[in-house]
Amino acid sequence: MKSAPHVEPSNGRAYWRGLDELAGTPEFRQFVEREFPEGASEWADPVSRRQFVRLMSASFLLAGLGVAGSGCRRPVERIEPFGQMPENYVHGVPEMYATAMPTRTGAIPVVARSNDGRPTKVEGNALFPGSNGGTDRYAQASVLDLYDPDRARHFKQGQFVTTPAAAMDFLAGLARQSAARSGQGLCFLSEASTSPSRRRLQEVVSAKYPNARWFSYDPLGLEVHRRAASQAFGQSVTPLWEFDKADVVLALDCDFLGSEDDVHNHIRRFAEKRQIETPAGSLNRLYTVEGVMSLTGFNADHRLRVPSSAVVEVAKALLAEIQKGSPSTVNSGTPQLPAEVDPRWITECAKDLAANRGRSLVVAGQRQPLAVHLLAHAMNAALGNLGKTVSFIPAPQSGEGTLEQLAGALNGGQVETLVILHANPVYNAPADLDWAKVQRKAHTVVRLGYYEDETSEFCDWHLPATHYLESWGDAQTTDGTWVPIQPLIAPLFGGWTELEVLARLAAAPVTAPYEIVRETFAGLKGIQDVEAAWRKFLHDGFLAGSASKAIEVKLDANVVGQALNGPSAGAPSRDSLEVVFQRDYSVDDGRYNNNGWLQEMPDPVTKLTWDNAVLLSHKTARRLGVSNLDVVEVKLGGRSVRGPVWVQPGQADYTVALALGYGKPKPGRVGYQTGFDVYPLRTSQAPSIASGATLTKTAATYPLSCTQHHWSMEGRPIVREVNLDQYREHPEFAKEEMEQEEHLPVESPLYPNPFNELKKHGIHQWGMAIDLNRCVGCSACMMACQSENNVPIVGKDQVARSREMHWLRIDRYYSGPPNQSGSFTYKADEDQQYEPWLANPQVVTQPMLCQHCEAAPCENVCPVNATSHDAEGLNVMTYNRCVGTRYCSNNCPYKVRRFNFFDYNKRPLNHLYLGPLAKRPPEEIELAKMVKNPQVTVRMRGVMEKCTYCLQRIEQAKIAQKVKARDSGDVVVPEGTFTTACAQACPAGAIVFGNLKDPNSRVSKLKSLDRNYPVLQTLLTKPRTTYLAKVRNPNPAMPDYDKAGPFTFQNYEKKMGNPFIEHPVEGRKGAE
Amino acid sequence: MAAGASTMPASHGAPVDVPQPPKELERIPLVANQRSFGWISNRIASLCEDRAPIWWWVLFVPSVLMLGMLMFMISYQVSTGVGVWGNMRPVMWAWDIVNFVWWIGIGHAGTLISAILFLLRQRWRTGVNRAAEAMTIFAVMCAGIYPALHVGRAWYDWWLFPIPNSNSIWPQFRSPLMWDVFAVSTYFTVSVLFWYMGLIPDLAVMRDRAKTRARQFLYGLFALGWTGSNRHWSNYEKAYLILAGLSTPLVLSVHSIVSLDFSVSQLPGWHTTIFPPYFVAGAVFSGFGMVLSLLIPLRSMFKLQDLITMRHIDVMCKVTLATGSIVGYSYLMEFLIAWYSGNPNERFHFINRALGPYQWAWFFMIGCNALVPQVFWFKKVRQNLLLIFIVSILVNVGMWFERFVIIVISLYRDFLPSSWSYYHPTWVDICTYIGTFGLFFTCFLLFIRFLPMIAISEVKGVTPQSDPHHPLGGAKVLEVEHD
Repeated sequence: MKSAPHVEPSNGRAYWRGLDELAGTPEFRQFVEREFPEGASEWADPVSRRQFVRLMSASFLLAGLGVAGSGCRRPVERIEPFGQMPENYVHGVPEMYATAMPTRTGAIPVVARSNDGRPTKVEGNALFPGSNGGTDRYAQASVLDLYDPDRARHFKQGQFVTTPAAAMDFLAGLARQSAARSGQGLCFLSEASTSPSRRRLQEVVSAKYPNARWFSYDPLGLEVHRRAASQAFGQSVTPLWEFDKADVVLALDCDFLGSEDDVHNHIRRFAEKRQIETPAGSLNRLYTVEGVMSLTGFNADHRLRVPSSAVVEVAKALLAEIQKGSPSTVNSGTPQLPAEVDPRWITECAKDLAANRGRSLVVAGQRQPLAVHLLAHAMNAALGNLGKTVSFIPAPQSGEGTLEQLAGALNGGQVETLVILHANPVYNAPADLDWAKVQRKAHTVVRLGYYEDETSEFCDWHLPATHYLESWGDAQTTDGTWVPIQPLIAPLFGGWTELEVLARLAAAPVTAPYEIVRETFAGLKGIQDVEAAWRKFLHDGFLAGSASKAIEVKLDANVVGQALNGPSAGAPSRDSLEVVFQRDYSVDDGRYNNNGWLQEMPDPVTKLTWDNAVLLSHKTARRLGVSNLDVVEVKLGGRSVRGPVWVQPGQADYTVALALGYGKPKPGRVGYQTGFDVYPLRTSQAPSIASGATLTKTAATYPLSCTQHHWSMEGRPIVREVNLDQYREHPEFAKEEMEQEEHLPVESPLYPNPFNELKKHGIHQWGMAIDLNRCVGCSACMMACQSENNVPIVGKDQVARSREMHWLRIDRYYSGPPNQSGSFTYKADEDQQYEPWLANPQVVTQPMLCQHCEAAPCENVCPVNATSHDAEGLNVMTYNRCVGTRYCSNNCPYKVRRFNFFDYNKRPLNHLYLGPLAKRPPEEIELAKMVKNPQVTVRMRGVMEKCTYCLQRIEQAKIAQKVKARDSGDVVVPEGTFTTACAQACPAGAIVFGNLKDPNSRVSKLKSLDRNYPVLQTLLTKPRTTYLAKVRNPNPAMPDYDKAGPFTFQNYEKKMGNPFIEHPVEGRKGAE
Repeated sequence: MAAGASTMPASHGAPVDVPQPPKELERIPLVANQRSFGWISNRIASLCEDRAPIWWWVLFVPSVLMLGMLMFMISYQVSTGVGVWGNMRPVMWAWDIVNFVWWIGIGHAGTLISAILFLLRQRWRTGVNRAAEAMTIFAVMCAGIYPALHVGRAWYDWWLFPIPNSNSIWPQFRSPLMWDVFAVSTYFTVSVLFWYMGLIPDLAVMRDRAKTRARQFLYGLFALGWTGSNRHWSNYEKAYLILAGLSTPLVLSVHSIVSLDFSVSQLPGWHTTIFPPYFVAGAVFSGFGMVLSLLIPLRSMFKLQDLITMRHIDVMCKVTLATGSIVGYSYLMEFLIAWYSGNPNERFHFINRALGPYQWAWFFMIGCNALVPQVFWFKKVRQNLLLIFIVSILVNVGMWFERFVIIVISLYRDFLPSSWSYYHPTWVDICTYIGTFGLFFTCFLLFIRFLPMIAISEVKGVTPQSDPHHPLGGAKVLEVEHD
C-alpha cells in the first residue's frame, strides 16, 4: 500500500511546508513516499514476520520450560487464614494432651503434642508416678504410623469398598443373628489388651451371647510371665520387677532392657542402680545367661553364653546352688550343664545372689519355657526376694482360649462367625496350624485391622481400625494404674475402635467409644464426683492411686518340681542347630513393618537396618563355611526359609537367631521387600526355641545395610571404662590418665572460638552430659530425635552407602582380649567376622550426636558461614545459607553431620536416582507433611544438617521465660523447664541437658564429676557434650573376672601403656 | 638445506667461515636442522591452514561425544543431587575433589614453563610453552567444573564470591575453600591473559597469511592491530615480562592454597605443614607428565621434530625426574613425621594407608610417582620416546592416585571407628571424569587446529639467525641484495 507520488500543481502560488520541500531534498521525497515515518513502517515482509513469530514462540516456549522445570523458582506458598478462629487457639503454640499408648501387657502413659490439630510427637508422661518422662522406641515412632499412607482406609466387603453404614448394618444383623442363637458359632480372636472398657464389653457380649467364645493370640507369648507366676504361686498374679531395689540381678535369657514389654520402666529402674557419682558409691551387678546377644547382654557385668535351650539347665544348677545349705524346698533335678560352662561361674554367681538376700532379683525371659520362669520364681523365693525386689499384683483371670484351640474349633466346624480384632494370624500364626486354610472354615470372618494385611485377604469384612492417637480408649499400665487413651485428631480415614465394634456387636445402646470409656470409668469403685474425676483423669493422663496393690504370695514348690521333669534338649551341633525366634527391636512381631523410622533405626545389637538376618556365631559360620551376606536355607521340621547370614558376636555356637516381623507377604510400601519371613518355621510346639535345624548355603548373596561397619574401638579412649575397684583406686581415671595429653603436646585449639568473650556475658550456656553407665543402648533417643527434628528416612540403598540421616546415633563397640584382637586393625571392616575375639566380646554403647564444640572445626572451614557459633555456646546451622560443600563434615572428628544427598522428603525412596522425574504421589506427601514438626525446618537436598540441641525448644523456653519475667528481668530459663527430645525420651536418664552457667543445674553437677570427659579431648575442640565414663562392676570371685580391667581398657593399655603406672597424676601435675 | 654448521645456506651467497667450537662446548641447537624463519612460519602456520588430517577427526569426534556425556552427567547431578556420585559419610569428598586437584595439578606445567622458565632465561621453553599454556587453561577449566558442581546446591555457588548484598552476608574468609575461589580464578585469569599476550604476534602472522575473509577478520580482531613495529615489540616485551612476573608467584600459590584445603583441617593425613611445597612439586610433576603425553604424539603427527627436539624432551624428562623425586621424598617424610610426632591417630593413619583396605591405591601411588620416574636417570630412557610416553602416562595415573590416597584414604577411617566406611565410586563419577577428558581434548584439538601451537615469533628468537652476534645471524647486507 504505497501512496501515490505527491505532486503539487504547477500553476498558482507555490506553498511549501518546510525548507526541505522547498529544497526538494531526497530525504523529503522519501518522507513523502513513505506511508509511515522511518522506524514505524509496517512489517510487510511475510517471511520476516513469520520468522519473528517463530522466534517469539520459541522464546516463550523456553521461558515456559524454565518455569515448568522450576529450577529458578521458589515453590509457591499460600497462607490461608482461619475464616473463624477456633476457640482457645494460639497460632504456633502446640497443645499437649495426656494419653497412653496401649501395649499388649500394659500401656505407656504419654503426653502427645498437637500442632494445629496434628499429633506430631509423643513424650512420656512425667507426671505419672515413678516416671521420668522416658518412653521406648515404639512409642516414639508410633506417631508415624498414624500418617501411614498404607493404613486401611476403607470398609470392605470382600474385595469391594463399601460404606461405614453398610458395615454398621452388617454388624447389627450379626448382633440380631447372634442374639437369636445366643452366640452359638460366634468366636472372637483378639490381641492381648489391658483395656478395662474392652474387658467390660467382653463381659457384656458374653452375657448377651453366652455361647460366644473368646480367643487371644500373641506370637511372642508375652503372657508367659503371668502364666508362670500364676502357676508358681497358685493364684492369678503377674510379677512386677523392681530393679531399682536389686543390687544383684540375674537375667535368664531375659532381655528386660530390650525386647521384653514395659522395657522403659525396666531401664529406668535398672539405671537408678547404675548411677555412681563418687568412688564411695555403689553399683548393681548384672549376670546374664543367654544364647543370643541382646541389649541386656550388652550391659551385663558377667555374661554366660550358652544356647538358649540350655538356660534351663543353668537355672537348675543355680537353683541347686542357691538352695545348698538351706533345707531344700524345690527339687531342681540334676542339671546337665553344657560342657563349656565353668562350674565356678554357677557357684560364684549363686554365692553373690545369696549374699544379697532380699536385694537380688532373678528374671526369666519371654521366650524361655515355663520351667525357666518357675525356676526364677523358686530362686527369688529362696533368696527372699518375693515382695522385695519382685512384687506380685493380681491379674485379671483371662478366660480366653488359645489360637490352637480356635484352630480346633474351626476345624471342627464349630465356628460360624469369626471376629478378628487386630490380630494378624494369617501372617504370624504357627506354621503347623496352616492358618490361612483353617480360617476359611468359618462361614463369615470379620476383621478389624489397622492394615489391609495378610489376614484381611481371607476375610469377608474388613473394618479399618483407628490409631490410638485418634481414638478413645483406656488401658492399665503394668502396675495396674488406669490410664486414658484420648484422641488428638478425628480418625483420618474414619476407622473404628475395638470398643466400637464390640459395642455394635453387642447391640449396646451406647456405641461411641468416648461414652463407653467414660461409662467404664464411672463404674469404678470409690469415685465420688465422676465429672471432676474424669476431667482430672484426662488431664493428668492417669488415675492416681489406681495401681494394684501387691499381694503376698507363697511358692508352690511342687508345681515347680513337676514342671522340671521334662526332658532336656541335647546340645545343639553342626547338624542339629538350634533356632531362636526373636522379637525384633525395630518391627516387634511385624506390626511396625511399615514404619519407616523403625525400619531405618539400626537394630541396637546388629546395627542392621531394613532387614533381619540369619544370626550365627563366629564359630558356627566358620564351621558351616558361610560368611556375612551369604544366603542360606534354614530347614526345620520339613519347612525352610532363606535369608542372609550375619555373624553376631556373643552368640552361642550352633544356634541360629531369626528375628520375627519381616518379609511380610503383603507389605506396605515402606515394608516392601524388607527381610525374610521366619514365621513359616515356627510351630506351636516350639514357638520360640526349636532344635534340629540344618543350614545349607545357597549360591546367592543378599546385601544388608549396616550402619556401623567397624566393630572395634581400636584401643582408642573413646568410651572410657574401668572396673569398679579400679575406679575406687583412681577416681579421676577418665579425666587424667586416659586423656593422652602426654602423647600430644597440643597447646591451644586449632580453631579458636570467636565468641569466647561473648560467652562470659551470656546468661545461658547450654551443655549436655551423657552417662555411659546408665545408657543401655535402647535407641529411644534416636526415634525421639527423628520425630522431633523432622529427620528424613533415606531407604535401604542409601543406608548401604552410609548416608543415613540420624542426628543422633548409638555407636556400639565390641571388645575382646587384647592378645586376640590386635591383628585385625588394618583389615577391611568385612573381615572382622573372621576374628576369633568375636566369640564372646564385651560391649559398650555410646550415643553420638553433635558435640557442640566450643572450638568447632566445622565452623572454620565453611566458606559461606552456614555453620557458626552463637553466644550461648551452640554450634548453629543455617540451612538457608548452606551450599553443601560438605567440608564441615570432613573436618568434624565426630562425624555427626548429615548431608542431604537427595531430596529425601520430596522423592519416593526407591526412585531417588530419577531426580525430578520421580514424583512422590501427592496424597503421600500430604500425609507425610502432617507428621512434621512445624517448628523445625524441613531440609532440602544439598544442605548439611545436624543436631541442634533442639534449638526450637531452647528458643521456646526462652521466649516463655521472657513473657513470664515481664519487667523483673528474670529471664534465665529455670532448670527443668524443658529438655531436648533425646534427653526427654531416655528412660535411663542417661542424657542430661541444661544450662552450664547455672552451677546448680544437673548438667553442671554431672560435668563436675570425676568421670566426666570429652571425647577426642586431645583435639581441644572443647565439646559441650561430654560423657561420664563407664564403670563396670564385675565380681572378683567370678572365673571370667579380669583384674586388668574391661577389654576396652586393656586394649587402650596395649596401645598407650598403662595410664595408672606410666603417667601418675602427681608427676604430671608437677611438670605443668 | 642440510648444510653443515660451518657454512651458510646457499641462499646467503658467498660462504662465511665460522670457526668450529670445541666439541664439548658445542650447543645442541634449539631448532634442529638450521631451519629458516620462513620454514618455521610455514611449518607452524600450515597446521592451522591446511586441511585437518584424518587423525584429527578421529580424535575430535569422540572428544565431542565425551564432552556431550559430560554435559549430561552435569545436568543429571545438578538436577538429581550429589547422591548420584559415590560420596558418602565419612568420605564426603571423593572423585570430585580428587579430579579437581588432579586437573589443577596438570594445569601447573604451562605457566611454570612460560613464566618461571622465562624469568630464568631458559630459552628451550619456546618450543613447548604455547601448547603447555593452552593445556594449562583447559586443565583449569576441567578442574573448575568440580568445585562448582560438587556442592549440594550449585545454583548458589555465587555465594562463595564476596558480592555485596542487601543482607550484608559475606563469605567466610577463614575458610580455605574461600581462598581456593580466589586462587583458582586469579590463576585462570592470569594464565589466559598471559597466553593471549603471547599469541598476539602470532595471530598477526595468521592474519597476514589468511586467505579467507572470515579468517582475516577473526585473526585480525584478536591480533589487536599488531604491526610488528619496534614500539609494539618494545611494549610487548615489557608486558610479557610483567605478566611473567605476576604469574610466577601464582604458580606457587594456587597449588599451595589447594593444599591448604587439606592442611587447614585437622584430619590425620590432611593436617600437615608439608603440603604446600609437596603439592606444588607434585603439580609440576604431573603437569610435565601431561605435557610429555601430549607433545610426544603431536610432535610426530605434525612433524615438528625440528621445533620440539629431543633436547626439549630430555630437559622435560629431567624436570619430571626432579619433581618426582621431591614427591617421593615427601612420601617418606610423611611417614617420618607421623612416627616422630607420636600422635597415635597420625601413626594409625599412615600405617593404614600402606596396610589397610586401600593398600592397592597406595602402592599404585608409590609405584607410579616415586619409583617409575627414576628410570629417567638413564639417558637411554630419556631418548626413547615410547618409554617416555609410557612413563608420562604412568605419572598421571600415579598423581591421580596420590590425590585419591590423600583425600579418600584420609577420610574413610578417621577418629571414631564407628563411622568408618569403604568408598565406592558410581558410574556417574566415572563418566563425569571421562567427560572432562572430552572437554579437555575438544578444546585442545580446536586449539591445535586454529591457533599456532608453537610460538612462531619466539621460536624464531632462539634460532641462530636472530642473534646479531652469531655468525649466522644479524641483518646481513648480502641478504638484502639477494632476497
